[in-house]
Amino acid sequence: MLREYLRKEGVFLLSAGIVLFFIGFGIARPDLLDAVSSAVHAAILDYFSWLYLISVFFFLVFALVLALSRYGTIKLGHDAERPQYGFFGWVAMLFAAGMGIGLLFWGVSEPLIHYLQPPPFIDPASPDAAAFAMRYAFFHWGVHPWAIYTIVSLSIAYFSFRRGMPALISSCFYPVLGERIYGPAGKMVDVFAVVATVFGTATSLGFGALQIHSGLTHLYGLPSTISVTIGIIVIATALFMASAILGVEKGVQVLSKLNIVLATVLLLVVLGLGSTPYVFNVFISTFGGYVNNIIDMSLQSYPFAGFDWSRDWTVFYWAWWISWSPFVGLFVARISRGRTIREFVLTVLTVPTLFTFVWFAVFGGSALHLELDRGADLAAVAGADVSLALFAFLEHYPSAGLLTLIAIIVLIVFFITSADSATVVLGSLTSGGSLIVPTYKKAIWGLSLSAVAITLLVTGGLSSLQVMAITAAFPFMLVMIVLCYTLAIGLSQEKVQ
Amino acid sequence: MFEKTLVPVAYGERPEELMKIGRVLRSLGAESICLYHVNEPGSFFRGADLSWLTLLAEALEEMGLSVEVKTGNGHIASAIAETALLEGADGIYMKAKRRWHIETMLLGSVSQNLLRLADVPVFVHKIRPRLPDNGVELDRRDLKVLYATDLGETSNRLLPYVMEFAGAWCHLLHVRGRMADPLAERVRREAVDGKLHAVAEELRPYFGQVTSEQRIGEPATQVLYVSDRIEADIVVLGRKGPAFLSAPMGDTAERVVTGSMASIFLVPQPGSRHAS
Repeated sequence: MLREYLRKEGVFLLSAGIVLFFIGFGIARPDLLDAVSSAVHAAILDYFSWLYLISVFFFLVFALVLALSRYGTIKLGHDAERPQYGFFGWVAMLFAAGMGIGLLFWGVSEPLIHYLQPPPFIDPASPDAAAFAMRYAFFHWGVHPWAIYTIVSLSIAYFSFRRGMPALISSCFYPVLGERIYGPAGKMVDVFAVVATVFGTATSLGFGALQIHSGLTHLYGLPSTISVTIGIIVIATALFMASAILGVEKGVQVLSKLNIVLATVLLLVVLGLGSTPYVFNVFISTFGGYVNNIIDMSLQSYPFAGFDWSRDWTVFYWAWWISWSPFVGLFVARISRGRTIREFVLTVLTVPTLFTFVWFAVFGGSALHLELDRGADLAAVAGADVSLALFAFLEHYPSAGLLTLIAIIVLIVFFITSADSATVVLGSLTSGGSLIVPTYKKAIWGLSLSAVAITLLVTGGLSSLQVMAITAAFPFMLVMIVLCYTLAIGLSQEKVQ
Repeated sequence: MFEKTLVPVAYGERPEELMKIGRVLRSLGAESICLYHVNEPGSFFRGADLSWLTLLAEALEEMGLSVEVKTGNGHIASAIAETALLEGADGIYMKAKRRWHIETMLLGSVSQNLLRLADVPVFVHKIRPRLPDNGVELDRRDLKVLYATDLGETSNRLLPYVMEFAGAWCHLLHVRGRMADPLAERVRREAVDGKLHAVAEELRPYFGQVTSEQRIGEPATQVLYVSDRIEADIVVLGRKGPAFLSAPMGDTAERVVTGSMASIFLVPQPGSRHAS
């Protein structure tokens, strides 16, 4: 009886135990957790930067080759199946899960920070630095992150919808592990996915709550106390749990569509009220530079000058996207049933990327325009507090208060959709891959995510846990390489015309 | 299939060792043996007295075998492969781990090169079956033959060669990759079991015992594993054309030959580089 229970709930119990251990560690000895995680993290980035770069480039090439090969016509589901969600709803959801909140956080800040602190071979605050800043902002938020998500989600979608296995990462290992996926080896992979999802989502919730708090303080002068941030998390938790309990169709999909519309409105207003021709010039110039340099940037670690810059930005980003990939991959897989591999890969790689490029061109390009030509001191604000840069930027536009309010709403909704998707994924992962998750499990995970975020905010262990999540992503990169292999094996067994 | 066997010999070969080989070949059905010696360009022994070859031939003739002696020039493995074809030999017999010159050691053994180049079956004699010291011939009933089959369309071509060891214990082995999901895996396993059963039924009247198994994994590793596990004396393998990626590591046959304690009987199949 007990053995049966442990076998059934093994993933849940073990992952909950690991999460609790790290939370306890973070509460009891935040300094020690910070020291250990920072040391391991720095060592991995120092020694394996090259591996991150080559692996992520390989994932991109692999995804494209699959899409353009004869396997591109294979459906992620049975041959006669039709897509479960409409195109707009699908794109809105995968965008909300994969990027969302980060765009608001970094859309203005990242180009400004690169502009002020480029690698040593570029003069800071120069036109060259501005071009470099925009190009690398495109690069870090372009096709590479989506290639990472693509590998994980494609593997899960293929093995679960096409091959009839549970929607778990361990299912993708069947071609190499066989029945052992049901044993400790398979369980460990799923435990890792749960832990990575909890860490990644909880830290993002914490940082997201801090940014919402910054916005509200900026707009309404709310006090900068921890209790306000906790209040924001509690309200957001109630909202995202309601959304999760309503289900993907009525909850996440509706909110994601709403948010894409709101984000587009904000984008168009900033574009229309700002220097429109300048932004278009930034967009096409940066896009040209991005396309022209994509292979160089993909494999460039600047070993002779600028290695630290590459490690702290590009490699950090790749590690961060990889740490999010179990969660985003599972969620994107879940909403992509019925699509062909070609449609899936090409859409996931291009549509959100293009929207992101436009976003960065509008927000980052306009911010650089204000900085370079209007004498605004936005770069210094971004350098001092990343979460404030967006609100400081919006101050230079008419109806700044309204725009800031829209930005905060978008931020809150992205916050809700990310947490909502994570709750659905965690529930599914700890229910043996079932797509129908009991409400109580959604509630447990939703509350757990918020509890973790609040605890870390209070104890100051948020950054440590983020570093820990990124460190834990290193073995998952190796898992992803195996996923490419098992996917290739699975596809090679398909009878394709 | 061993009626006419080409046996490459080198300078310094001892007649008593060759007689042991002769007994093995006779027990496998050999009637005629072509002793073949290659003079390598630049070899220290080139042009030396070849009377030792006559002595070897006489030793085999005393055993009742028909023997002819041939010599050739050039790259050893290429010359052996070419002569076997020209002389209409049914197969080539080689004792493994024989190194004639330092350059062959560096470039790979003659037997490994021959495996790639020969258009006729090659028997590479390794540690098992042991050469009998007491003058008796091999008893086929004591032999364990491991027949590694891919169950492909051309695998039936190998059956007559497997029959050469009739009377022995024949263990059929099929190595394959794992299917991508449990259902496909079960279907595949059942299909392979069916095919192996059909082949086993075909061989059963001729062999003392016929068993079969299928394994999942890398072919060379699994063949070597099973060969060691059942202590096979002879491994019968078909040779296909090398895959692009096999070049640096060697193809399955080469790796089995290198790692096996059992002798290898390698039969070229259509699609291999030189097989016609």
